[in-house]
Amino acid sequence: MALRDDFPILQRTVHGHPLVYLDNAATTQKPQVVIDAMSEYYSRSNANVHRAVHTLAGEATDGYEGCRTRLKTWFNAERAILTSGTTEAINLVAHAWGRANLTKDDAIVLTEMEHHSDIVPWQMLAEERGVEIRYVPVLDDFTLDMEVFEASLVGAKLVCVVHTSNVLGVRNPLERIIESAHAAGAKVLIDAAQGAPHVRIDFDAFGADFMAFSAHKMCGPTGIGALLVRPEAFQEMQPFMGGGDMIETVTTEGSTYQENEHKFEAGTPRIAEAIGWDAAFGWMESLDLEKEHKRMLEIARYTAKELRGMGMTVYGRHADGDSAVVSFLHPKLHSEDMAHLLDAVGYAVRTGHHCAQPLLHRLGISSTVRASYYFYNTMEEAEQFIAQLKIILERFA
Amino acid sequence: MTYPVHLVELIEEFQEVEDQMERLEMVFEMADEVLVLAVDVWSDETRILGCQSEAHVLVTLDDGKVLMSGGADAQLVQGLMGILSIAINGAAPAQALLLSPDFATEMGILNSLSPGRSNGFRNMFDKVMLEIRRLEA
Repeated sequence: MALRDDFPILQRTVHGHPLVYLDNAATTQKPQVVIDAMSEYYSRSNANVHRAVHTLAGEATDGYEGCRTRLKTWFNAERAILTSGTTEAINLVAHAWGRANLTKDDAIVLTEMEHHSDIVPWQMLAEERGVEIRYVPVLDDFTLDMEVFEASLVGAKLVCVVHTSNVLGVRNPLERIIESAHAAGAKVLIDAAQGAPHVRIDFDAFGADFMAFSAHKMCGPTGIGALLVRPEAFQEMQPFMGGGDMIETVTTEGSTYQENEHKFEAGTPRIAEAIGWDAAFGWMESLDLEKEHKRMLEIARYTAKELRGMGMTVYGRHADGDSAVVSFLHPKLHSEDMAHLLDAVGYAVRTGHHCAQPLLHRLGISSTVRASYYFYNTMEEAEQFIAQLKIILERFA
Repeated sequence: MTYPVHLVELIEEFQEVEDQMERLEMVFEMADEVLVLAVDVWSDETRILGCQSEAHVLVTLDDGKVLMSGGADAQLVQGLMGILSIAINGAAPAQALLLSPDFATEMGILNSLSPGRSNGFRNMFDKVMLEIRRLEA
């Protein structure tokens, strides 16, 4: 049975054509086991987690906490805070760690390659606290200027860097970044929204202090993600959102807080989503991730080569370790036109600035067409994609 | 929604086409229907915000009737401008304001007109209607 048979959505048609889903960097499709796990939870075990003693609450709690246990095992991490996604995870670091540990004249190092979700929270904090933000430029070969990075570490307290660019697919030299940042006394936050879905990351060995990512980019549901935190950094975090579940005791005089991850998970959490995500990990465990990643990268390399041959500009290098994202532009046909025309024959691609406007500004463009592959995509789909693009260009460009 | 006769004819023409690519080709061709707003007149005031493409419209009154001109670097956006021009140019402002953007979905050329979506047509439609309201005031 083919891997793609596990994904019911891949059987559908769009405008009378079989769906070819190439927007995986935005969100991935869900295997049947994820859909079933969430449906089963709502059909049989729906209850609020943690305190109630009844059977359903026990099942719900086991399901929710089971996801946390799976995260800790999958990523070899001691602390895993469940959030609504990468964006909330980064905002949590800004509020819970940043506000407690950064003061006027401290510096945060970002890169021009960051997604808006790893820029805006820091700009907001900088405005509030008078913190300086330094940006590491992107070079013409789509990599970070590591000389500037090293120089920017003087006096830096935090380095925030994207694991793999959602536009370029470039995987950054994270080992060197983490080592240099730590040597300079700075903590490191990795935005792994695009990295975690493609490679198995050992968070403890990796050495970063924080790592954020989302379930929906790795076959899990939308609305849930995680922040992994090293124990030392965890101790430096102060509660951000107050409410139920995060407290130990509450009196009219004040409150005391939980010591574990619950301290940062106020209110009823995303129970069904956690159960769905756990099922997604279960599904992914059957895959040889390294082999699949190499296969996807080969598809991306083929696509990039063909696109260049058709006169397109391709933004990315597709080196070993990079993700299977292909951003491109045609010299005449607008990206938005191209995406509409592709949709007309069943191809789902993304256009626009991909929430990375500083990067696109650096590249001197305002949008790209982006095709991004995941485990269920095939070389045949890539070949059909290229063939379809040739037809479109012949007719419209 | 009751549409002007020439728009109804256009909607029917689009509905007769079953192939989505052909429909989009027809929109491409409608780009020629726009009274061109020269690029050197494009400004922040004429820009359609929230649009993926660089798109501009200017709405004026000619003898009390709506006159829309525009231009975009995306052909589909300019084609949609052409369709909107056919719908409102020559109409009294009050009459033009009665138009609903739903005709674009009825024509089968857009699958969603949700305001939160990055949708060139919706943003363009809203800006044109705002300009007409300003002229009417």
